[in-house]
Amino acid sequence: MNALHKTKTQVEEIDRTVYDIRDKVNSPYQVGQGLTVKIVNEISAKKNDPEWMHQFRLKSLQVYHRLQLPGWGPSLDELDMNEIVTYIRPNTGMKGKWSQVPDDIKNTFERLGIPQAERKSLAGVGAQYDSEIVYHNVREEVRRQGVVYTDMESAVHDPKYGPMVKEHFMRLVPPEDHKFAALHGAVWSGGSFVYVPPYVNVEIPLQSYFRLNAPGAGQFEHTLIIVSEGASLHFIEGCSAPKYNVANLHAGCVELFVGKNARLRYSTIENWSKNMFNLNTKRALVEEGGTIEWVSGSFGSHISELYPMSILKGEGARMEFTGITFAGKGQSLDTGAKVVHAAPHTYSNINTKSISKDGGCCTYRSAVSILPKAYGCKSSVSCESLMLDDRSRSDTIPAMDIRNDDVDVGHEAKIGRISDDAIFYLMSRGISEEDAKAMIVTGFADPVAKELPVEYAVEMNNLIKLEMEGSIG
Amino acid sequence: MTGGRDDTMNLELAQINTLPAPTWFRLAMNDTKLSGGIPEIHPYQGDYLSTELPRNVEILTEPFSAPELSTGMGGEAEKFTQDHRTCGVTVRVPDGVKADKPIFLSFRVDEENPSVLDVHNVIAGEGSEVTVVMSYTSPADFSGFHGGMTRLYAAKNAVIRLIQVQLLGDGCVHYDNVGAQCGENGTVTVIQAELGGKSALAGLKADLQGRKSQLNLDTIYFGDRSRSIDINYVAHHAGSASHSEIHASGALLDESRKTFRGTIDFLKGAKRAVGHESEYSLLFSPKVVNRSAPLILCAEEDVEGQHAASAGKIDANRMFYLMSRGLSELEARKLLIEAQFRPVTDRIPDPALRDAVLNYVKERLEAIEPVSE
Repeated sequence: MNALHKTKTQVEEIDRTVYDIRDKVNSPYQVGQGLTVKIVNEISAKKNDPEWMHQFRLKSLQVYHRLQLPGWGPSLDELDMNEIVTYIRPNTGMKGKWSQVPDDIKNTFERLGIPQAERKSLAGVGAQYDSEIVYHNVREEVRRQGVVYTDMESAVHDPKYGPMVKEHFMRLVPPEDHKFAALHGAVWSGGSFVYVPPYVNVEIPLQSYFRLNAPGAGQFEHTLIIVSEGASLHFIEGCSAPKYNVANLHAGCVELFVGKNARLRYSTIENWSKNMFNLNTKRALVEEGGTIEWVSGSFGSHISELYPMSILKGEGARMEFTGITFAGKGQSLDTGAKVVHAAPHTYSNINTKSISKDGGCCTYRSAVSILPKAYGCKSSVSCESLMLDDRSRSDTIPAMDIRNDDVDVGHEAKIGRISDDAIFYLMSRGISEEDAKAMIVTGFADPVAKELPVEYAVEMNNLIKLEMEGSIG
Repeated sequence: MTGGRDDTMNLELAQINTLPAPTWFRLAMNDTKLSGGIPEIHPYQGDYLSTELPRNVEILTEPFSAPELSTGMGGEAEKFTQDHRTCGVTVRVPDGVKADKPIFLSFRVDEENPSVLDVHNVIAGEGSEVTVVMSYTSPADFSGFHGGMTRLYAAKNAVIRLIQVQLLGDGCVHYDNVGAQCGENGTVTVIQAELGGKSALAGLKADLQGRKSQLNLDTIYFGDRSRSIDINYVAHHAGSASHSEIHASGALLDESRKTFRGTIDFLKGAKRAVGHESEYSLLFSPKVVNRSAPLILCAEEDVEGQHAASAGKIDANRMFYLMSRGLSELEARKLLIEAQFRPVTDRIPDPALRDAVLNYVKERLEAIEPVSE
């Protein structure tokens, strides 16, 4: 085995051909670089914001200037907001048919497999290109159930759903939460609004895909999902961007309201390019007996800070988080989850895997809080980290804050490398070392893969195989 | 904190017990502070060193300029303790000497010594062994202060055992700050019993420099009334095949608060290093605050790191087992807490001190109210 280890070689970069194809930037309108009152006013005017939203943006900008960068986590020194363009309008309005979407944009989404997936296995699709949604459609039978799935701008202006947006918008993630939440509040654009009426079960998933094409740009989409009492939904989010030599920024915001006895599964496969700062905020509020399930795969970006948070507000509410993070060369992915048990008999289960390779850095970060009156709660956290070479790094930074005695809280973490015995076993049965390692890593990731729809599980396994390919010489 | 005396001084430690990798500030777990007035500081009055000392071991009571060594509580606590030292020993164990008996250091915080700041160095030469036992007591309702710093230097193949037992009264503020350095195959074994005081802080940082160097750390803590316990342990693995075992268990009653930080830090090059860490908290009151941050930081592929933490009530099956054999619920609880502490207390080499610890815990457990359901 040692001899084999000595001959180890590494690939420089995975084959990201599909994700890395750049379209020519063909924007009819974009704001200047940086963040000023003028730019925020400009975005607000272009989007024809109602006055409350205009004021919200300006207030958020003030908060942004007041707040400091986080004093923990990966360094954000390379991110210069003065060089980020916060709004780039694509050369099309939102369409309801792919045939109406301009060819260059449509081709990009076809390469990513979005229209094909829509035909096969989705109840609705939203596709965002740079700062705006370019395609939105929902199946008629889902629409007939009363399900609303539209872009955020339409929802803001809708006479029926506008007040609902106003009531919920950045209520879970207030701009004061952190600097990038404030930034989002000031310049947000695009994203999806979903409303599932009471007791409606959306049997096949909805999906939004976010594509950032322009170099030096930011994407700040807002996703607001309201799943009413007794209803259920699976929402899938995908994201990617081609690689540039300048920093791109993603500071989206996801707010999920899960009603009494409702269920929401929110799945994400994130595959941003490796020049991306992914500083995204996701939060769910779960009412009595409701369930939020997060499935999260983080593969891309230069730096990620992503910790979906669940507030278990109602008695008997549950959260489940299943996540995998794969950090390669030049990546520092700081991911994890947060949960607040705010009501009695609430349950949380966090299960994460991380893999570091080629000098990549994975950090698992979590916080489990159990409030004083949240008695009878159970929380279980398990995180496992795999180091594939000695140039990489893997840190585990969990925190627990328990404020009553009637709880059952468990946490366990493991860190290590692929066992030589396991590789030897597979090799003795005729499998090459490279395949053996890929098999073991795929097996390691399996608990996450099996939580994903099959197409995404396949995509995730392909990403892992691509990352592992050529890692043994 | 002053007990009504005139001669007091201000203690201001703004950032101690710092987590090696910070996390969200709003959790307020990245570090802690200690401030307030402390009673007058003067050289320790009376004897604290046992009369029976091991042969061939040099023990100095005057201040000693020990090599630089970082500690669990950090630079501010080190400087304050060093600057205001009231007592302490430096133990030098020559190469190859295995001390034939432990060194006992017994400190009493009382009217005579309202503030005790002890600074100790234990320097164990190659292949040597030594055991040092420190205990801190006070009258039950005395408002005093204890701040201690102990630096441990275990050379190649040396073994240092440090046992620290803190049984101070409810009015005392206390900290114990330890730094350790282990050479090749050197072992530092520490037992800490943090059982008393109004506010109890403990920090330990072990620099496992040598190949096969080892840290074994077992801690028990007991929180009742409004006691605040704050702990920060760091095992710094630099040596290949270095090994750390950090295990803490405790019970929290009444309105007590505890923060436990434990970090296993594998540096690049620490190949085949192993670090295990666990914390087990039993909770007995709806008003307790129990916070934990067990970290693993890893820059080396070929390591094995594990941590586990759990918190909650006593396991219902174990309770049922004992109660089905005739014990009342209260008796069963007491027995299980005692059983949790016993593996650690059994390793205290002095029977009298061991009994004092067990009796202290038993007395405190008497305060647990029967649960009416």
